[in-house]
Amino acid sequence: MNAPKQYCTGLNRRQFLTNVGGGIGAIALAKILSEENLLASSQGPAGGVDLMAVKTPHYEPKVKRVIYLFMHGGPSHVDLFDPKPDLIKYSGVPLPESFGSVMTRREVAKNPLLPPIRPFRPRGKSGLEISDFLPHMAKVADDLCVMRSCGGDSVNHPQSVYQMNTGSILMGRPSLGSWVSYGLGSENRDMPAFVVMPDPEGGLKGGPPAWGSGYLPATYQGTTMRPGKNPILNLRSPEKVSGAQQKSTLSLIQKLNTSHIEYRDYDDSLAARVRSYELAYRMQTAAPDIVDLRGESESTKKLYGIGEEPTDEFGTRCLLARRMIERGVRFVQLYSGGTLGWDAHKDVKENHTRYCAKTDKPVAGLIQDLKLRGLLDDTLVIWGGEFGRMPMSEKGTGRDHNPWGYSVVFAGGGVRGGMAYGSTDPVGLRAEEDPVHVHDLHATILHLLGMDHERLTYFHNGREERLTNVAGKVVHGILS
Amino acid sequence: MPAKKKRAGVAMLAAICLATSCLGERRNRLEVEKPITDEDRSHWAFQPVRDTDPPKVRNESRIRNGIDHFILSRLEAEGLSLMPSADRRTLIRRLSFDLRGLPPTPTEVRAFLEDNTDYAYGDLIDRFLADPAYGERWAQHWLDVARFAESDGFEHDQVREDAWRYRDWVINSLNVDMPYDEFVRMQIAGDELYPGDESKAIATGFLVSGPDMPDINLDEERAHTVLNEMTSSTGLAFMGLTLECAQCHAHKSDPVSIEDFYRLRAVFANMEFPEKNKQLSHVFLENDAEPPPSFVMKKGDFRSPGELVDPAFIRIANPMGMAVPKSSGNSKTSGRRKALSDWLTHPEHPLTARVIVNRVWQHHFGSPIVGTPNDFGILGERPTHPGLLDWLAGELIDGDWSLKDLHRLMLQSAAYRQSSRPLGDSWELAVRQDPGNRLYSRMNRKRLEGEAIRDAMLSVSGQINLKQGGPGVHPPLPHEVAITLLEKQWKVSEDESEHTRRSIYLFNRRNLRFPMFDVFDRPDANASCGRRNVSTTAPQSLTLLNSEFSMKASLHLAGAIINKANRVDHEKWIRSAYETLFARAETHSERSAGLSFLKGQAASLETEGRQPASLAIPEGLSGGIDSYEGAALVDYCLALFNLNEMIYLD
Repeated sequence: MNAPKQYCTGLNRRQFLTNVGGGIGAIALAKILSEENLLASSQGPAGGVDLMAVKTPHYEPKVKRVIYLFMHGGPSHVDLFDPKPDLIKYSGVPLPESFGSVMTRREVAKNPLLPPIRPFRPRGKSGLEISDFLPHMAKVADDLCVMRSCGGDSVNHPQSVYQMNTGSILMGRPSLGSWVSYGLGSENRDMPAFVVMPDPEGGLKGGPPAWGSGYLPATYQGTTMRPGKNPILNLRSPEKVSGAQQKSTLSLIQKLNTSHIEYRDYDDSLAARVRSYELAYRMQTAAPDIVDLRGESESTKKLYGIGEEPTDEFGTRCLLARRMIERGVRFVQLYSGGTLGWDAHKDVKENHTRYCAKTDKPVAGLIQDLKLRGLLDDTLVIWGGEFGRMPMSEKGTGRDHNPWGYSVVFAGGGVRGGMAYGSTDPVGLRAEEDPVHVHDLHATILHLLGMDHERLTYFHNGREERLTNVAGKVVHGILS
Repeated sequence: MPAKKKRAGVAMLAAICLATSCLGERRNRLEVEKPITDEDRSHWAFQPVRDTDPPKVRNESRIRNGIDHFILSRLEAEGLSLMPSADRRTLIRRLSFDLRGLPPTPTEVRAFLEDNTDYAYGDLIDRFLADPAYGERWAQHWLDVARFAESDGFEHDQVREDAWRYRDWVINSLNVDMPYDEFVRMQIAGDELYPGDESKAIATGFLVSGPDMPDINLDEERAHTVLNEMTSSTGLAFMGLTLECAQCHAHKSDPVSIEDFYRLRAVFANMEFPEKNKQLSHVFLENDAEPPPSFVMKKGDFRSPGELVDPAFIRIANPMGMAVPKSSGNSKTSGRRKALSDWLTHPEHPLTARVIVNRVWQHHFGSPIVGTPNDFGILGERPTHPGLLDWLAGELIDGDWSLKDLHRLMLQSAAYRQSSRPLGDSWELAVRQDPGNRLYSRMNRKRLEGEAIRDAMLSVSGQINLKQGGPGVHPPLPHEVAITLLEKQWKVSEDESEHTRRSIYLFNRRNLRFPMFDVFDRPDANASCGRRNVSTTAPQSLTLLNSEFSMKASLHLAGAIINKANRVDHEKWIRSAYETLFARAETHSERSAGLSFLKGQAASLETEGRQPASLAIPEGLSGGIDSYEGAALVDYCLALFNLNEMIYLD
């Protein structure tokens, strides 16, 4: 009813009538729609606009898609990617006064320094130092770019989870994945542009707002998917409804909806809804196809640690991530770690031994597999948590949260491999050289995707909002 | 601000600067507050509400009330006219959903069709306004604006045990037609206005409805965040001002300074905060003592207090020149919020009445007069019909702020009754001349919200439990959703009859929107939402097609249809389904589509060799039914629930 009556892109009303209105019904419509490939549309006040159309980035992108491996709870940089000889040297000694006052979550500032739990070694040709906690990632060291000088603004989990995902410590802002979907659209109209695979244990601190779309249209929010028979909520037809049965129900729906539109002047929003049923139907095929791993070779599965413990679960999700980006999903985010996850307050050794064992091989396998298939060149893989951990001990064997200095790892297109960028102070407490704030990380990720973080904006409640608020600079030092 | 106060502020700042030896920074941070200029005041929304006479029109015969003068005169200027009225079946459905969020029952439809008096339409409006379902429907609109939820948000997302009392207060206030000025006053200062009356204090739940992090590290950070949020939400909800832009620096586009922001925040400065890890009270509590001094927080940083400020109102919206009194005269509270509530509801406040009439209009007409209901500032949209907006604001105030009278006014207009479908010769021209329907040359078609879709499905399938009020209920969540929550965050209500209560009564967890509402664009409760997105997505279709909820509604509807017909009678089934769902008889082609579906579906289920036990059998049957016939009808009902007509209102 709004907007000029162009039924859908490229089809005018006459064509619409010829193709559909004359009683050919849902079958003809299905054909048109499968060619048209529209996952979702959204009407703001202005009428039907295809929000998921592929958009041209601001400049030539280095990568087309992102796989974000989120280590929930905060992995310890000083035990994994940021070797600190001084921590060994001054082990057991309280942090020198010269470091000034330190804001911590659990008042550990005066506790003695805890040396790295496992030794670091130079790896690969580059000699990038990585801890023995991560023997598999160590093997792909020459593909990794470790930013050792990252920093955020809060010592708390939910605020930091929000910040790492949305740029803001407050809840309810649009997430990185939703900004990317908004900025670039979707290449595969049978699947959402932004898929999230939470840890099956659940319990992410901060919850679903971490992949929400905030004030951006709901179309852009992360769709949660999981391995197994029911990968997307309500994807499968109800238990007592067979495929054939549903097909005829759907065709009745389309038939009645199509004639409903005829009496309503081909209202765009009604037409969009007719299309959404076609797409729902196709998703019912596309999504199970993604999670069906039968076509994957044994050697591939082995690479990810699928079929063995404790890597089977995370390995399966990593492989799913590859299968999704192969099919044009723009942004895939995986969480490792349930309620507690990598949050090693009590015992870093116990915690990180467990979590590294679950994830190290799958992460390395994913990078190797992407490389083998030529996908790593235009994919960005991100590894990191919401913050790192303190150099001081907590309860003797644990470590408290540290947002002031920690490591985030990039691998893939446009990024230099085998390098460490920036540094923390001698004990790993604060980012010191070339600090990289979360806003800078986000600016860099958008840059790699061909977008200028200052130009990717959305007008909301009186302001041109952006992912990086009023800050952010691209970390040029890591670009290849 | 009077010069004297300003000097005091500067003196204090100087003292602080000396004390903290930060004189060097002083120049940078002392961004001088800009005075309000005539140009600032010239923005339409800051001008006084104008006393406008409805303009003349050529075609008087279409006029039903003042609204039509404004709408029709604009249309006539473009060579257009009002669309003819929709038919009565369409109108009763429209009115019923708009006022109650529920479809009319077949009995209500019949009664309305048979009532040939001149008052039939007005009586219908009155009946719907008198139905408690009215308050339940309109409360959700307000709760969107009030960013209401029943938990804190953040990591622990702890339940706010008493938050539902505010929700019930909103419902009841709307149902008893509490005047809107009182509705505002109570939410700002119910406790100050009626000391000692706990039931009045509940309204201040508005102020403390935002997200909060009880375990945040520093008390000062928590208080700062909560007070800023409260100030921003007050601006958005009551005034359509985006004050939050001014918490870090002077507003970039509106004449609102950072001092304005923190002066308004000072009104709330006496709020009593619990100790760390303890939740806020469900009502606004004040300390007994003198309010603490308030400062401008430079760059919005709680660690950077700047100039000392006294409580005061936003200058640009204060042509009345009202001030916050020094003391309340009572020892319990500061009296500042009472002053704020008086200011907001002063008949000369340029924003309050305009903002609410725009909100009400939006929900009836499908688009607001000011396209940005939460932003009446410079960057907001301009009103399509400024004269109408002011006239409605005046009518509201003159009518003692009665919202029900405002509804009556809007619903009685010819503009509201227009057809949303092509009718008569004027359609083509209207669509061509007014493609976005900014001029209201026809009725907008409205997409129902997830809440209304759910309520309608429960209602037509006979499952709905219309019990009113009380703590939020927890219907079962899909397993996949439940596991994303921390343990015990969603304890399913034991009494199953509670699971089918109206959507407004579902427990509203900040960190988890109920899936059915989430998928249909319910806003998250982290900021005031004046206008929901309307998206059309494949997951919506999957929800209506495959969810357990849809299946259950189909089973119940099919059962009721069979019981009514008392036998296998496809024609009767189809008629009864259309009357129940769409308040009309089916068309000829709908009948033949239905007949061939029912016959074909039953036959193919049998041909498929499906065992009766593997079929979905209608619920609540009073007699027996052939399994294949029953299952085919269930599928038919499911199909009808998925029709555009089910979720779009003509």
